Amino acid sequence: MGILFTKMFSSLFGNKEARILVLGLDNAGKTTILYRLQMGEVVSTIPTIGFNVETVQYNNIKFQVWDLGGQTSIRPYWRCYFPNTQAIIYVVDSSDTDRLVIAKDEFHAILEEEELRGAVVLIFANKQDLPGALDDAAVTEALELHKIKNRQWAIFKTSAIKGEGLFEGLDWLSNTLKSGGG
Amino acid sequence: MFSLFYGLWKYVFSKTEFHVLILGIDKAGKTTLLEKLKSLYSNLEGLPPDRIVPTVGLNIGRIEVSNTKLVFWDLGGQPGLRSIWEKYYEEAHAVIYVIDAACPSRFEDSKSALEKALRHEDLQGAPLLILANKQDLAEAVSAEELARYLDLKKLDERVYMFEAVSAYDGMGIKEGLEWLVDAMERSKRTQMLRARAGVTGPASA
Repeated sequence: MGILFTKMFSSLFGNKEARILVLGLDNAGKTTILYRLQMGEVVSTIPTIGFNVETVQYNNIKFQVWDLGGQTSIRPYWRCYFPNTQAIIYVVDSSDTDRLVIAKDEFHAILEEEELRGAVVLIFANKQDLPGALDDAAVTEALELHKIKNRQWAIFKTSAIKGEGLFEGLDWLSNTLKSGGG
Repeated sequence: MFSLFYGLWKYVFSKTEFHVLILGIDKAGKTTLLEKLKSLYSNLEGLPPDRIVPTVGLNIGRIEVSNTKLVFWDLGGQPGLRSIWEKYYEEAHAVIYVIDAACPSRFEDSKSALEKALRHEDLQGAPLLILANKQDLAEAVSAEELARYLDLKKLDERVYMFEAVSAYDGMGIKEGLEWLVDAMERSKRTQMLRARAGVTGPASA
């Protein structure tokens, strides 16, 4: 009986699967975010060469989250992972104001990609725990998010270290993906 | 030759697409309105109101009303986020301005944000639909009362209308939207935007 009910429940509210790419410059905090989402704790990380991939179950959506290394030399390989992606989480180190211009350029280059045309965009203005971190409005300005007019986007202030803002972002992501996306 | 026919075909049969900005201060009900529009006019099931979180960015909705394609841009209304509104003005055909009619303490904030938007030259001539939202609440004021309170100056040359709606249960939304589609089809601004986009006639293809 219980099994029957579970089956009915999941067919009604079905578990969706979504493929998410976590992108951003090196040292933005992508890997810390991935493991904070997956295990709920802060792990010590080393610069990612290649990728980490984990499954995060949240709000009835199974997020397959790909965290790709962000160093200049390996950014060209991001595109290998673009097909069949429903959403991009773009992570920015909000305290690294010197490199925001580069972060912006990389971001808009990603948005140009044909294979990511249907993907919704979630921006994490990360490292809010650091002094001098820009807030969401300032990061919005710096990344020129207003140039996005054909897809849904949202920005959240996050601190991966403190675990703040991350699940609010996933809430938005699951709502957006459920209501049909961009 | 082909391109000539294609251009003609496109001119005759293609549907016009209108961009409609949904503005208003935070908690006015912009996203609830957008989701209601989606469920009223498309086969998409809009998000139920209790699942909607404050918007920090851009929500998009695409619907079709009587052979016209509408694209809605719903922007976040918190004070820090209002600075990006104007980046969307240039390409907008019309504006829907949402006001929480049950919250008089924030009318002043609503009024000044609206006046600021209307002063912007990129919004010149854009038809304006002002919604006195949350009519499902007993304390909501009527559209007339809201209009009196806002006492908007310099509206004379702009096409505008007040409508009492409830984004929660859908009251008044269809009436307001039908008016807006009609207003956009007649507006000079639409002609101007069309000319700029290069769809003035068959020759342009």
